[in-house]
Amino acid sequence: MATVEYQKIGKSFGTVVVLNDLDLTINEGEFVVLLGASGCGKTTLLRMTAGLETVGSGNLSIDGRRVNDVHPRDRDIAMVFQNYALYPTMKVYDNIAFSLQVAKRPEQEIRAKVDEAASVLGLTPYLGRYPKELSGGQRQRVAMGRAMVRNAKVFLFDEPLSNLDAKLRAHMRVEIRQLHDRLAATTIYVTHDQIEAMTMADKIVLMHEGRIIQVGKPDDLYDIPNSKYVADFIGSPTMNFLDGQLRRAGKKVQFVCGDLKLSLPAGFSDQQDGRRVICGIRPADVTLSAKGEITGELSLIEKTGADMQLHTTVENHEFVAIVPRGVDVAAGTSVHFAVQADKLHIFDAGTELRI
Amino acid sequence: MSQSSAMQGRFWSFDRAWPWLLPMVAMLLVFTVYPLLYNIWLSFHEYAPLKRRLVYVGFENWQTLFADARMWASLGVTLFYFVVVLIIQLVLGMALALLLDSDDPGMGFLRGVLTLTLVVPPAITGMMFLLMEDPEFGVLSWFLEQIGLLTSSTPILATPATALWGVVLADVWQWTPFMVLIFLAGLRSLPPEPYEAATLDGASAMQIFRRITLPLMNKVIAVAVLIRGIDLFRMFDYVFVMTSGGPGTTTYTLSLYAWQQTFSFIKWGYGATISLLALVIILVIANLFIYIAKVRW
Ligand SMILES: Nc1ncnc2c1ncn2[C@@H]1O[C@H](COP(=O)(O)OP(=O)(O)OP(=O)(O)O)[C@@H](O)[C@H]1O
Ligand SMILES: [Mg+2]
Repeated sequence: MATVEYQKIGKSFGTVVVLNDLDLTINEGEFVVLLGASGCGKTTLLRMTAGLETVGSGNLSIDGRRVNDVHPRDRDIAMVFQNYALYPTMKVYDNIAFSLQVAKRPEQEIRAKVDEAASVLGLTPYLGRYPKELSGGQRQRVAMGRAMVRNAKVFLFDEPLSNLDAKLRAHMRVEIRQLHDRLAATTIYVTHDQIEAMTMADKIVLMHEGRIIQVGKPDDLYDIPNSKYVADFIGSPTMNFLDGQLRRAGKKVQFVCGDLKLSLPAGFSDQQDGRRVICGIRPADVTLSAKGEITGELSLIEKTGADMQLHTTVENHEFVAIVPRGVDVAAGTSVHFAVQADKLHIFDAGTELRI
Repeated sequence: MSQSSAMQGRFWSFDRAWPWLLPMVAMLLVFTVYPLLYNIWLSFHEYAPLKRRLVYVGFENWQTLFADARMWASLGVTLFYFVVVLIIQLVLGMALALLLDSDDPGMGFLRGVLTLTLVVPPAITGMMFLLMEDPEFGVLSWFLEQIGLLTSSTPILATPATALWGVVLADVWQWTPFMVLIFLAGLRSLPPEPYEAATLDGASAMQIFRRITLPLMNKVIAVAVLIRGIDLFRMFDYVFVMTSGGPGTTTYTLSLYAWQQTFSFIKWGYGATISLLALVIILVIANLFIYIAKVRW
C-alpha cells in the first residue's frame, strides 16, 4: 500500500531522451496500466521506479518520501521483468521462494506460499526443474510466481502475460487483479494487450515518446480520447479517420468530407466555418442502415466469429465497420452506415488534439 | 603444374581431418606418450653404476616406494602445500576479482597491472622472495617482524615450522593474479538480470554472492581450481630455488624428491617411479574433481 509520485521525471541514455517531463500520481491501492507503443519508455519508467535505473531529473516519491537515491533493496518493490530475469542456477521452487528465503521466513511458510503460487500458476509439476528446462510461457509464470509470494508495497509488472495462451491469460488476469485486491497493493502494469488494459485498470496511462499524453479511466480513454494518437491507440480494430472540414449551415455545424456530410452535436456551434479537422469514428459505433449518411465501397468481409468486419472505402479513406454476423452484404457493392452524432470524435487537423 | 596443385589441393582438402591433426598428434606422441611409456618402462629398471647401464629390477622400485618414509613425508608436504595455497589463492583471488569487477576509472589499469606477476619466470620469483625473506636484510622478514609474526631468532626459510609458508608467499604473490584474471573474465560475463531480480527480492550482498554469483561461477571456479591444482601438485621451482627442500627435508615436495633421487642419487628408475606416483595421484584427484564439480543447470 503506497502512493507513487512522479514529478517532472526525465531520463536520457547518452543523447537519447527516453523520458521527458513526466508527471504522474498513483494513489494507494490503485491498479495503473501503462500503455504505449514499443520503445516509448514504459520499461524504463518501471525500472526507475524499482531503482534499477537512476532518476535522470525530477523527483520520484513513494509514500511521500523522495526515493531517488534509495537503494532498490529498500524500496519494497516486487517486479516481474519483461525478460523474466529468472535465477538460472536455481530450480523453479527456489526461484519463487528466493525472496522468502533471504528474508529467513520459516520453512513451512515458504513451502505453503510457493505451493499455493505454483498451483495458481499451473507450475506444480515443474517445481523441480531449472529455468532452461521450461518453455517461454512457463518461465514467464515463474517470474509471476516470484512476485506473487511477495508482500510488497508496490508491484511492477512488465508485460507479464505476453507469452501465455489466450485461456491462461484470461485466467491470470483474474488472478493478478485478485492478488492486487487482496494485498491492497499499488500496481503498475505494462501491457500491449487492449483487453488487459481495459479490464484490469483503475487508471490507464498512455505514453508516447517518453511523455504521458493521457491519463484516465479505461472508459474515458475510449470515449473521450484527447488526441488522435490516443484515439488511434485505444480500441481494436482501430478508429477510422476521415479528413475534412467543418461547415456551418445556419445554426448547425457539419463535418464535410467530399460528398459526406455529418451533423455535429450542439457543442460545436461556435466553431468557425472551414476549419480543417479529422473526424474519428469507431468501427463498432456504426450501424448498417439503408438511410445512413456514410456510403462505402465494400471490398472485404472478415468474419471474426461473433461478428463481421467490413473493410470499405469511404471518400478515399479506408473505413472499417463492425456489424453483426449474418447481415446480407456482398463485396463489391455499396453499403450505407449510420452513426450517432455524439459518437463522432473531432480532432484539429494541425495539432491532432480533440476539439 | 596445375595437375600437381590439384593433387595437393586434394591432399590438404578441408574435409580430411588427419593431415591437419598430424602435427599435433606427432607432438603428442613425441613429447607426451613416449616419455610416459618410457617412464613406466624406467620404473621397472634401475641404473647400476658399476655396470653403467639400466638393469631390470621388477617391482623393486614400487616396493621401495611404499615403504619410503621420505616419499610419504614429501607427499604430505605436497598435499599440504596444494590445499593451503589453493584455498588462499581461491579466496584471495575471488575477493580481488570482486573488488576489481567495476567500471570505475582506473580499474582497467589495475586489471592490466595484475598480469605483470604472471610474466616473471617462477625461478626468478623464487630468487626475489629468497632475498626478501632474508633474515638480515629482507624486506618481508623485516615487515613480518614489525607486525610480530616473526622474531629475528626464527628466520622464515630456515625454521622448519615456517619454511613452507615462506614458499607459499611466493606462490600466492605470483599466481593469485592468475585466479583474479580468470574470475574477472567470468564475473564480467555474468548476466545482470538475476542480480537486479535478487536485489528487488531483498537479498543482501552476501546472499547474492552465495546464491547467485557462486553458482553462476562454478564452472569458472572449477577450471581455475583444476589448472592451478595440477600446477601446485607439481610444484618444484620455488622450493628448488628458495629452500632446496630444507631445512632438513621439511620442504621436499614430490617433484623435488623425484628430482633428487634421479639426479643427485642417480636412481633413475626410482625417480621415475616417484614421478609416476605423482602422475597417478594428480589423475585421480583431477578426475574425481571433474566428476564432482560437473554441476548441471
Ligand atoms: N540502456 C539503454 N541505453 C540506451 N538506450 C536505451 C537503454 N534502455 C532503453 N533504451 C531506449 O529507451 C527507449 C525506451 O525503452 P523502453 O525499454 O523503456 O521501451 P518500452 O516502452 O518498454 O518498449 P517495449 O514495449 O518494446 O518493451 C527505447 O528507445 C530504447 O531504445
Ligand atoms: Mg518494455
